Amino acid sequence: MARYLLYRLLDAIPTVFLVLSFVFVAMRILPGDPALAALGPQTDPAQLALFRERMGLNDPLWLQYLKFLWDAVRFDFGVSFLSNQPVSSLIARNLPHTIYLTLTSVVIGLALGIPFGVYAATRRNRPADSALRLYSLLGYAIPDFYLAAILLIVFALNLGWFPILGAGTGFWDGLHHIILPALTLALLKSAFLGRLTRTSVLEVLGRDYVRTARAKGAREGRVIYRHALRNALLPLSTGIGISILATLSGSVAVELVFNRPGIGRLLIDAISERDYPVIQAGVLMFAFFVIFVNLAMEVVYVLIDPRIRMAS
Amino acid sequence: MTDTSGLLDPELDAMAEREAIAPAPTMWQTVRHEVFHRPATRIALAVVVIFVLVAAFAPWIAPYDPLQQSFLAINQTPNAAHWLGTDQFGRDVLSRLIHGSRNSLIFGLLSPVFAAVIGTTLGVSAGYFGGVVDRVVSRVIDMLMAFPELLLAILVAAALGGSFWNIVIVLTVAFTPGFARVARASTLAVKQEPYVEAAMAAGVRTPVIIARHVVPNILAPIVVLMTLWSASSIRIEATLSFLGIGTQPPNPSWGNIIRDGLNNMFATQWPILSGGLAITVVVLSISLIGDAVRDVLDPEAG
Amino acid sequence: MGGPLLEVRDLTVAFGPRDMPLRVVDGVSFALDRGETVGLVGESGSGKSMTALSVMRLVPEPPARIGGEIRLDGRDILGLPLREMPAIRGRDVGMIFQEPMSSLNPVMTIGDQIGEAISLHGRMTPAARRARVIELLTLVGMPDPEARIRAYPDQFSGGMRQRVMAAIAMACNPSLLIADEPTTALDVTIQAQVLELMTDIRERFNSAILLITHDLGVVAEICDRVIVMYSGRIVEEAPVEALFDAPRHPYTRGLLKSVPSFSETRERLYQIAGSVPPAGTIREGCPFRARCPLRMPRCAVEMPPMAAHGPGHRAACWATAEEAAA
Repeated sequence: MARYLLYRLLDAIPTVFLVLSFVFVAMRILPGDPALAALGPQTDPAQLALFRERMGLNDPLWLQYLKFLWDAVRFDFGVSFLSNQPVSSLIARNLPHTIYLTLTSVVIGLALGIPFGVYAATRRNRPADSALRLYSLLGYAIPDFYLAAILLIVFALNLGWFPILGAGTGFWDGLHHIILPALTLALLKSAFLGRLTRTSVLEVLGRDYVRTARAKGAREGRVIYRHALRNALLPLSTGIGISILATLSGSVAVELVFNRPGIGRLLIDAISERDYPVIQAGVLMFAFFVIFVNLAMEVVYVLIDPRIRMAS
Repeated sequence: MTDTSGLLDPELDAMAEREAIAPAPTMWQTVRHEVFHRPATRIALAVVVIFVLVAAFAPWIAPYDPLQQSFLAINQTPNAAHWLGTDQFGRDVLSRLIHGSRNSLIFGLLSPVFAAVIGTTLGVSAGYFGGVVDRVVSRVIDMLMAFPELLLAILVAAALGGSFWNIVIVLTVAFTPGFARVARASTLAVKQEPYVEAAMAAGVRTPVIIARHVVPNILAPIVVLMTLWSASSIRIEATLSFLGIGTQPPNPSWGNIIRDGLNNMFATQWPILSGGLAITVVVLSISLIGDAVRDVLDPEAG
Repeated sequence: MGGPLLEVRDLTVAFGPRDMPLRVVDGVSFALDRGETVGLVGESGSGKSMTALSVMRLVPEPPARIGGEIRLDGRDILGLPLREMPAIRGRDVGMIFQEPMSSLNPVMTIGDQIGEAISLHGRMTPAARRARVIELLTLVGMPDPEARIRAYPDQFSGGMRQRVMAAIAMACNPSLLIADEPTTALDVTIQAQVLELMTDIRERFNSAILLITHDLGVVAEICDRVIVMYSGRIVEEAPVEALFDAPRHPYTRGLLKSVPSFSETRERLYQIAGSVPPAGTIREGCPFRARCPLRMPRCAVEMPPMAAHGPGHRAACWATAEEAAA
């Protein structure tokens, strides 16, 4: 098992490397002159030259690439053009907010989606099942930022139940601030997970071992939760991984709507200000997050399925 | 105790009993049933037709110039002159929505088509030739598939910046791996078919085999994916525009109408509500049609 | 208690619209005594599995509609509300399924799966349950049971899994054991072991066994009586010797001729011409008539009734009924 995990970990290295290379190529080669982009077209040529020299943009490309890799490995992303603060401290300040939001939404989303999916699977083609189908279709069609805006307008602006902006200070205030953003993402998540749970459970309910469980004299509740759901968790865990990552990309828009601090907001602000060091770091953070979640899902998979555990 | 000459096949027992219950309908019956007997699909079809017409004839339908500002008429709520009111610059919201539909339509069509062409080419090559090509392509697909499409789009847009063609590139990159994976898997399956093996043995040239035998047989899942992803494409373009890295103002797009609306939400909420509704209804309709197309063309995937 | 252990009377399992139902089991009646082994024989789609699943009420209702009467130990099974069935399943009736590879839960240890069958029908301390699991595994001939209880199904061969299935089915010493093609998916040598195990179980606990199979060789080996089904109906019922000596239904005769035999050498195996009509698709007359060498005009209009051909021997055929009468 340890060897299997080590193997998966090693397997992620080329991916990390490819992501880094992609970011380097995109940042250094494609959009033209970073110095011009950073300082603006009206900048004095002498200043541009100084900037190039300071950022190492006059070095040969391969040297820039090696430096870039080395800096990335040390989590040294330079200094923000805009705020003159080290990018790493900007990340450190914003990352916890994004993680908090993502985890809260995933937990609420699972708590809503899985029971709904199981319920619909056991009442196939009945009203609960149709309701889930409609819910999942809507959940797919409604953009996250639109749902966020509706919740904001209804519950914060008009009803005044929740604060409109920011992340709040302290635990309870923070909780008060996170409810609407987390609910936005959780509702969309539960629509996806509900549908996925229904499909997985339905598929498993048709398996022979479920019939064996019934033939033993197990009641439906036990058949579903002890036999079917545990097996349905295998395909479901992949879906949960996808949905965590979707939450992550959804958090970008939600942070913007609710004006919350976070990596997404940091990245979007940096894009509009052409703050290249921050853009680069933000892109890498998201990429690392994706790789990390995929790895974590592998581990979960191994933990759930004895067959993989035995084989490895 | 050996099995008796194929006469008795207990494994098929349950299956035969099940088949006896529901005889398989013909293709045409399925099409008719899926498209015309489901009211939801009929409504969805109507919505998409209206959406395409509106986008195509936007300049003639829109009551005002979408960019025309008027400081005499800012933040109006819906009224006889402005059915959906006006925004903070006095621009007519309905006209902006109507013109914004063009963006959605173009991106909804272009990116899935480009992604389908590129992805299918990559996938078929990987599946057909195998070896190093397959290993490289599969590796890249796996890596890109690890990223949700929206996140990939945000990251590429962040790196490239948002102009029309950049958004097309962004969406194409985001969708290509999905097509490539499906095309590769289908090609691998088709390659095992006797008629392809026979063609190979008969010395038919590879491009001919691919064009005549492989591609037509993997088309169904590709078409299904294209339909479903034109919905995603519209949604992602809206999100990018909302984030400010898609269609750039003052040009209207459903996403940036909501972005502008959010900055002005204390004055009027109509741009947000109507813009979002437009996205939701169109994406919902296209995905309903996509589901129907999938049920017809690729029933196993359902 | 008097009377047979299991009595099935006029059992019907129907699907589809009420005005045009597909009866996959149509008017099936038979009985089983304690300690008796009865083979239920038929081809794919003959309704034999449906008949067995009906006894457990494991046929999903709806879509299925079950009619007739099933009495287990005098109790009216079909009259019971479904929520009372779990108390009977596993305790009074144990069932072994055809596919040992897929009939065990892949994410539970076999010890837990057998233990569950025990604890569902009675409270027990964990230690006592464990002891019982080991006892059952020993009974079904599992080598090294103490070590095996922590193993997962994927670590076993098909034959070993079928032993685990048997242990689950026997966990509460049921008076009736239903085995649905228990040997079909197994190698010939393993088949013999599983059959031996079943005979052993019957002798030890005096359980009745309803053995569903397509394999007349298996029937000859362990059954007392045979019931032959065709297209949802019973076409012949007889003690094993009578059936093999003097089959009275042309379908049974065809089946017997198609069994490979070591005693005679034939160029090729006999095969009944044509194919089985899916159960329930023939609504009038004898369902076998299209493939029958003895068919007569009457067969197309009227389903032949069961005619007696000797003690416990009945067959539903116009032609052989006339032979018997003549």
